Amino acid sequence: MIDWLFSPLLDFGFMRRALVAGLALSLVAPPLGVFLTLRGMSLVGDAMAHAVLPGVAVGFLLAGFSLPAMSFGGLLAGLLVAGLAGSVSRLTGHREDSAIASFYLISLAAGVMLISMRGSSVDLTHVLFGSILAVNGTALWLIVSVSSLTLIVLAAIFRILVVECLDPLFLRGQGIRGSAVHGLFLGLMVLNLTAGFQTLGTLMAVGLMMLPATAARFWSKRLEGLMGLAIAIGMVSSVGGLLLSYHAGLPSGPCIILFAGVVYLLSALFGRYHSVFARWRRRVQPMLPPDAHG
Amino acid sequence: MAPLQTRSMAESDTLLTLESLSLAQGNRMVLENIDGHFEAGTITALVGANGAGKSTLVQGIMGELRPISGRVRCEVPNARRAWLPQQLALDLTFPMSVEELVMSGCWPTHGSFKRYGPPEYRRGQAVMQRLGLQAFEHRPLGELSGGQRQRALLGRTLMQEAQLLLLDEPFANVDAATVEVLIDVLRTMAAEGAAIIIVLHDHDQMTRLADRTLRLERGHGTWSTPSRAGDASSPAEMLT
Repeated sequence: MIDWLFSPLLDFGFMRRALVAGLALSLVAPPLGVFLTLRGMSLVGDAMAHAVLPGVAVGFLLAGFSLPAMSFGGLLAGLLVAGLAGSVSRLTGHREDSAIASFYLISLAAGVMLISMRGSSVDLTHVLFGSILAVNGTALWLIVSVSSLTLIVLAAIFRILVVECLDPLFLRGQGIRGSAVHGLFLGLMVLNLTAGFQTLGTLMAVGLMMLPATAARFWSKRLEGLMGLAIAIGMVSSVGGLLLSYHAGLPSGPCIILFAGVVYLLSALFGRYHSVFARWRRRVQPMLPPDAHG
Repeated sequence: MAPLQTRSMAESDTLLTLESLSLAQGNRMVLENIDGHFEAGTITALVGANGAGKSTLVQGIMGELRPISGRVRCEVPNARRAWLPQQLALDLTFPMSVEELVMSGCWPTHGSFKRYGPPEYRRGQAVMQRLGLQAFEHRPLGELSGGQRQRALLGRTLMQEAQLLLLDEPFANVDAATVEVLIDVLRTMAAEGAAIIIVLHDHDQMTRLADRTLRLERGHGTWSTPSRAGDASSPAEMLT
C-alpha cells in the first residue's frame, strides 16, 4: 500500500523532477508568505500572482512553451506592476494596495487576452493552473536556482525585515529606507511566483506561499516556529498534492494547493492558538473549579 | 561610552544642532526657523499643543522629512541614534519576545550576519534586569502591558548604547512604577553623556525630567528652562 502510494515519486522522471521542484519551492515560498501575513499584505501576494500573467503570455507568444522565456516575461511584468503601483501610490497619495489591485486587474485581462489571441484554451489552462509534466531539466534548474537565490537574499535581509515589520521608524533612524527593503521583498516574491508557475500555475503559485503561512499562525506564536512550520506544511502539501494528482489524474497545481488548504482548515478548527477549538476551550474554562486547571 | 573631549564647551558637547530649520508636511508649512543645540548630558522636553509640529520636528531630526530650508547637523553616527516610537506605531501582533526586541538593539552595530555572541546576551540580560523585565523575557510583545512594553522598547535603546535618543510620549499608557523606572534610566543615560529629546505632555514629568524645554507654537520654537529647585546649570546661550 505504502509502496503503491509513494513509488510514483521515485519511478517516474517527471514525478521526481516535480517533487524536487515542489520541495525547493516549499523551502522559500512559505517564509515569504509568513512575512506577507505579518506585514498585513496577504492579498498583495495574490494580486502579484495575477500581475505575472501578461509577461508569461508575452514569453509564450514569442518563444512558445519555453520556461525561461515565460519566467523572464513574468518576472518583468510582476516587477513592472509592483513598480508602477508603488509610483502611483507615491504620486497620488492613494494607498499602495488599491494601486496594486488596479494594476493586477489590468494585467490579468491583458494576459488572458494575449494568450487567447494565439494559443488554445489548453495553453491558457496550463499557464493558469500549471502542469507537472512540463517540468523538464531546464525548468528544474531554474526553480532550484531561484529558491537558492531567494534563500540567500532572505537570510541577508532577515533581520532588517523583522525590524521593519515591527517598527519601520527604527530602521529609518539607521538610515535605511523602508521602501528599498519593501521593493526587494516584492522582487523576491515575484521571482518565486514566476518560478512556481510551472508546477502550480500563475494563479496557484501564491497558494504555496500563503496557505502554509496562514495555517502556521494557528500553531505558533514565534517567528522561527512560524517559518519552520510553514516550510513543513508546504513540503507535506507538495508531496501529498503530487501523489494525489498522480493517482487521481488531476492537475498538480490545484491538488497541491487543496492539500495545503485542508491543512489550513484543520488548523483553523483545531490549532493551538486562536482556532475555533482553542477559543471554545478558553470560553468554557472559567466554568471549571479552580483545581481543574492544568 | 567615552566622554567627549572638552574643546570649547558648546562646540564639542553639542550632539545635534538645528540651524534655522523649516519643515513642511506636504505643502503646509509646519515649522519655521527653529534653532537650537542639543548637548550631551541634557534632557530636552519638546512640548506644544496637538498639531503644533512636535512629531514633524522629530521626523525632521530623524532625517525622515527633508528641510524646506536650514539644516539639521548631527554628530552622532546612525548606529547610536535611537528612537522610541509611540506605542501605537508598533505592530503588536508581530511574533517577537521581549528578549528578541531588546537584542534587536544590536542590529545597528551587528548588521545582517554578525552573530550575537555571549557578551551581547549578557548585556541584554543586564539591560532587562535593570528595567525589571527578567520575568517577561520570553513573553510575546502582544501579551505585555503598556508599561512592560515601554520598558522593553527602552531596553532596545540601552542595548544600542544610544547617544542621541528621541522619545515620543513615552509615558502615555504606562503605569506609575514604569514611569519611575523610565525616568531613572533616562536620567542615568543622560548622566552617561546621551542627549535626550522627549515629546511630553505632563507638566509634572517635564519639571522632574527635563533640563530644558522647547515649546512649539504657531510654527515657532521657544526655549526655556523649567523652574526646578536648585537648578541653575543651564548655560545662557541655550535660551533664545
